[in-house]
Amino acid sequence: MAKITENTRNEVKEIVYNFFAEECEVDKSKINDGTFIIKDLDGDSLMFLELIEIFKKKYNLEIELKVIGKYSVKHPVATIGQLIDMQMLIIEHENRLLDLDIKS
Amino acid sequence: MPATSPVFVFPAFPNDYTGHPGNDLEGFSIQFEQLIKEASTSHEFLLSGFNFQSNNFLDDELKTQYITYLYSCAAATVLRKKQIHPEYSAGYSMGIYAALYDAGSITLDTGLRFIKQAYRSLKSAIRGKTYGMGALIGLERKDIEMLISNSHFRIDITNQNAPYSYVVSGIRDDILEMLSLAKDEGALHTRSFPVSVPYHNHLLKDAAIGFAEKTSHLDIFPPANPVLSLIDQKELNTPEELRCEITRNLHHPLNWYKTQQWFVMHGIQQFIECGPSRGLVKNAKFVGLECRFIPLDGIH
Repeated sequence: MAKITENTRNEVKEIVYNFFAEECEVDKSKINDGTFIIKDLDGDSLMFLELIEIFKKKYNLEIELKVIGKYSVKHPVATIGQLIDMQMLIIEHENRLLDLDIKS
Repeated sequence: MPATSPVFVFPAFPNDYTGHPGNDLEGFSIQFEQLIKEASTSHEFLLSGFNFQSNNFLDDELKTQYITYLYSCAAATVLRKKQIHPEYSAGYSMGIYAALYDAGSITLDTGLRFIKQAYRSLKSAIRGKTYGMGALIGLERKDIEMLISNSHFRIDITNQNAPYSYVVSGIRDDILEMLSLAKDEGALHTRSFPVSVPYHNHLLKDAAIGFAEKTSHLDIFPPANPVLSLIDQKELNTPEELRCEITRNLHHPLNWYKTQQWFVMHGIQQFIECGPSRGLVKNAKFVGLECRFIPLDGIH
């Protein structure tokens, strides 16, 4: 399980903002946590996958894609802020992500 | 020019031509127009009406294949004029004909005839049923196999693009139902393809044999560089091997992931996608190999 520090969320946010600014060719200043990924940025699920790969490498995560997929079905992501929240949960819980639903 | 000799990869047909990468490749437009003209005058089909912006051939599977073939041939011709020569080439799915043209094994006209006959043979074999293809990302092969066997879907896994990225073909209704079930199983991305032929499916074996008989008179010459098989990752160096490959290619599953691994293990560091999309460049981000995929608009 990756160690979450105060700085982790800022790091994740920076990566996500930079990623969408580059991939969607949008000025970074136009992106905020309320920005809708598909409606506002013309993003797609492949971009979500690409981001997961980036975070898997950066934080050396042990997580199966289908675990994220099953979690996404129950907790769909629409905005940049929701995406950052989910990435934080992935980093923190890795393959135990689905246990969060059992606990709640 | 790349530092080491690259692999030229010839993709299958795209869903969209707008924003195509050849637009930014110097000399491409003239070359493409020339090949379109050549194809239009030597064949009965009127390809000169094609327009990149209106995507006017996308509802015609055969015409789209012709256009993609001509596009890929034009792109590779321009690269060779720029003194960029491949160490190997590979044809992804129906991109195999462009790979053979680029390697000097078939003429432009022969490639068009192969495409036409393949389409006719396959279409006549599947008459009466509705087939399709789809892609899914996020599951393992065993998960997909379980979905197929549990519901007795008439579907084959027909390609693997990356560790968790697969292509399937078979009965269209089964494909759509399976993609929906795959989402519940944890697939992060699913997509059905707008095609009517279940390419690379075992059901097409007889049609492929018919194709081989009807094209046996068409000349195939020794390739200028080896072409790698996506079926078993073997080097194809003779006309006989290439002829066998274009027949097997119609009814046999491919493995693009293993093919990329083979290339990297043999020292290849760069791949150039010689086609109208950036699909294989995009796919490479999920493969995790130490290599670089370059679209046509990345050539300077």
